[in-house]
Amino acid sequence: MLKRIADHLFWTARNLERAEWRARLVEVNYQLLIETPPRDLQPWEPLLAIFGEREEFSERYASADEASVLNYFTLDADNPNSIRNCINVARSNARALRNQLSSELWLGLNTLYLAAQEWTPEVFKWPGVFAYFAELKDSFYQLAGIRRGTMPRDLAYDFMELGSMLERAEDVARMLDVKYHFLLPRLEDVGGAIDLLQWAAVLRSASGLEAYRKRYGGAIRVDNVVDILLFDPTFPRSAVYSVGRLRAFIDRIAADSPEASAAAAAAGKLLAEINASKPAEIIHDGLHQFLLHVQDSCAEISELVFEEYLKAA
Amino acid sequence: MGMTAIEVSKSLPVWAAYRAGEGLFDEMLDLAKRSNSRSSPITEALLSMPPEALADLCARAEAMFRRMGVTFNVYGSEDGTERIFPFDPIPRVIDAETWAMLEAGLIQRVRVLNAFLADVYGEGCIFKDGVVPRDLILGCPQFRRAAAGIRPPLGNYVTVGGIDLVRGPDGRFHVLEDNVRTPSGVSYVLENRVVMTRLVPDLIRACRVRSIERYPTDLLQCLCEIAPGGKSHPTVALLTPGPYNSAFFEHVFLSQQMGVELVEGRDLVCMDLKLYMKTVHGLRQVDVVYRRVDDDFLDPMVFRSDSQLGVPGLAAVLRAGNAAIANAIGTGVADDKAVYAYTPAMIRYYFGEEPIIPIVETYLLRDRDARETVLKDLDRYVVKPTGASGGYGVVIGPHASERELEETRLQIMRDPAAFIAQPVVSLSVHPTVVNARAETAPFLAPRHIDLRPFVLLGAKPRVLPGGLTRVALREGSLIVNSSQGGGSKDTWVLEA
Repeated sequence: MLKRIADHLFWTARNLERAEWRARLVEVNYQLLIETPPRDLQPWEPLLAIFGEREEFSERYASADEASVLNYFTLDADNPNSIRNCINVARSNARALRNQLSSELWLGLNTLYLAAQEWTPEVFKWPGVFAYFAELKDSFYQLAGIRRGTMPRDLAYDFMELGSMLERAEDVARMLDVKYHFLLPRLEDVGGAIDLLQWAAVLRSASGLEAYRKRYGGAIRVDNVVDILLFDPTFPRSAVYSVGRLRAFIDRIAADSPEASAAAAAAGKLLAEINASKPAEIIHDGLHQFLLHVQDSCAEISELVFEEYLKAA
Repeated sequence: MGMTAIEVSKSLPVWAAYRAGEGLFDEMLDLAKRSNSRSSPITEALLSMPPEALADLCARAEAMFRRMGVTFNVYGSEDGTERIFPFDPIPRVIDAETWAMLEAGLIQRVRVLNAFLADVYGEGCIFKDGVVPRDLILGCPQFRRAAAGIRPPLGNYVTVGGIDLVRGPDGRFHVLEDNVRTPSGVSYVLENRVVMTRLVPDLIRACRVRSIERYPTDLLQCLCEIAPGGKSHPTVALLTPGPYNSAFFEHVFLSQQMGVELVEGRDLVCMDLKLYMKTVHGLRQVDVVYRRVDDDFLDPMVFRSDSQLGVPGLAAVLRAGNAAIANAIGTGVADDKAVYAYTPAMIRYYFGEEPIIPIVETYLLRDRDARETVLKDLDRYVVKPTGASGGYGVVIGPHASERELEETRLQIMRDPAAFIAQPVVSLSVHPTVVNARAETAPFLAPRHIDLRPFVLLGAKPRVLPGGLTRVALREGSLIVNSSQGGGSKDTWVLEA
């Protein structure tokens, strides 16, 4: 496996996962605003803050209204992380390594890419925001299924999974932060009807509401939501699941290397930290800090993976 | 002919309105005339379609190509550089007997070009015996002095050859030009067949069309056979200039089909006269490179020093015999258009045989007599630069303006050795869908075609049955190159 090819594989998968989570995050915010009429004049601001993209956004848009934010996150050609740009980057990376992908996966990705070129702001009017995101999520599920159903479990697969899982761990932490840190309602609302609706929306956008009900029954409690999204090893979008897979893939890749892998060590450390934490404790000590730590650790692992396996020079 | 003037009724089969061009060799009509039982299903199934069914066929084909991402890049075009190679769904059919003759002729041709290259970069017997003038080769821009010390395994200079064939008004095949540097187009041949198989599966079965599926396996086999020291499981890599190259799709496609690594120059490194690629687990030795990078860019230490596409030290590795490259360095002298004129003589000289497929009469403008003859009636000839390929720089006398002819005349007088002239060959025509995307009903009209078969040379020669049929989509145009607005058809060689 060439370093350059591994790099392309990693970023193809990572950009797809990123596009998927951007779609999930925008959708959850949209849903929250429908279910709880905004008290804030700028109800989309928190989302921009989460991504650290407030400044970039305000350079090109007069206000953070719904149409502008939707456009920024999905279609904007000048936003490198807009969903369409993530798909374009994934596809152009994939184009350079079609010999490494199954032809089914390439076909699926190219089909999504071609569809994305046709998107206009009209898609939010018809078929409408929900339908648009539902269809988009279907496309991502389909690609993930094709990948798992057609790719041999070799290094190419490992590097793709590595990219996906790294992005997933980072994004699930980010999503929890949207709700907990920025959408925290007034103190008197905590535990109220609106608060619970919001937590349900967060779970739903991580495709976790049913898993939650199955495990904890009907009532939604903050510590249980944190538990399932961060610490449930059986839930495929939880932080502990993602970091666990991430570590397994780095270990597999590192197994053939003569030297010990710093990236594997960093992933092992993060996994141990997550495993040693409890929902009640981190909520008490500051959930935001913990979520930031998870995101920073992912960035560090990413940097080490790049240095060890992807950098060609 | 004024084809556009013909009123096409919606119910009338497209074939009923078809009029062949006068004085042109129409391949489909010729086949129908010599009709055997197996070419008639084609006429029945495709040519008796109503226009709307034909339009549907074209639309489905285009959608498939777009979805599969079968594209080529056009240099210097701003609007999204990826384009689909236009495809015409009416297949070109070659009967078994004709193909048997062509196959023998193609093998003869590639073998003689290979023998010539071994001689040019070896002892030079053909010069000493006065069959080919030595100065013609030494002055050829494609001659590579650096190739002189490199002895390719099995003596194979050419591993992949693309030989362009045309049929004149008498229906006889002629070689129009040879391509033994980095001939491209085979991916379109394979993808065209994939699409046709989905569009008309029953028809392909009924006609007993020969399969072309083996090509990638055969190519890999040939590449393995030229591994240095006859290594049994050599590491093969395909070297591409990268995603901006016009044929990048093909590089990706072939590496995928062969299951070999697709590498760029920056993925390779030479150390201790060996070639390696940079993998995630360190360096891995490469034995055979199927390169799609031109000589000039291969090794900045020997050729163009500003090249970012090559591998410094590659030529030294080849000279040391620690890797093989296909095609070899310097093969461009064999497909030079002035050398082409000598190919019949080469076949007689090396093999004592007569050419099975003739060439087109060719005037070397470096000869004073030939030059005077041609310059007298410049508007009757096709003038080609000797070193170029891809249809670039070709001037077709009868279609050129006074000014173009005048410019060409000046260029010839300035540097006569850089050009050859040939009488205009009125290429054969084939029914082709016109107006496929317009609002009005599509119809069939004759369009000029050529054929690029692909010949592989490993321990033994292998020929892909058929090849790339290129079609000039503009009415009357003789230029079939994809870079110049040509399209392609599937080529069906029938089983014997």
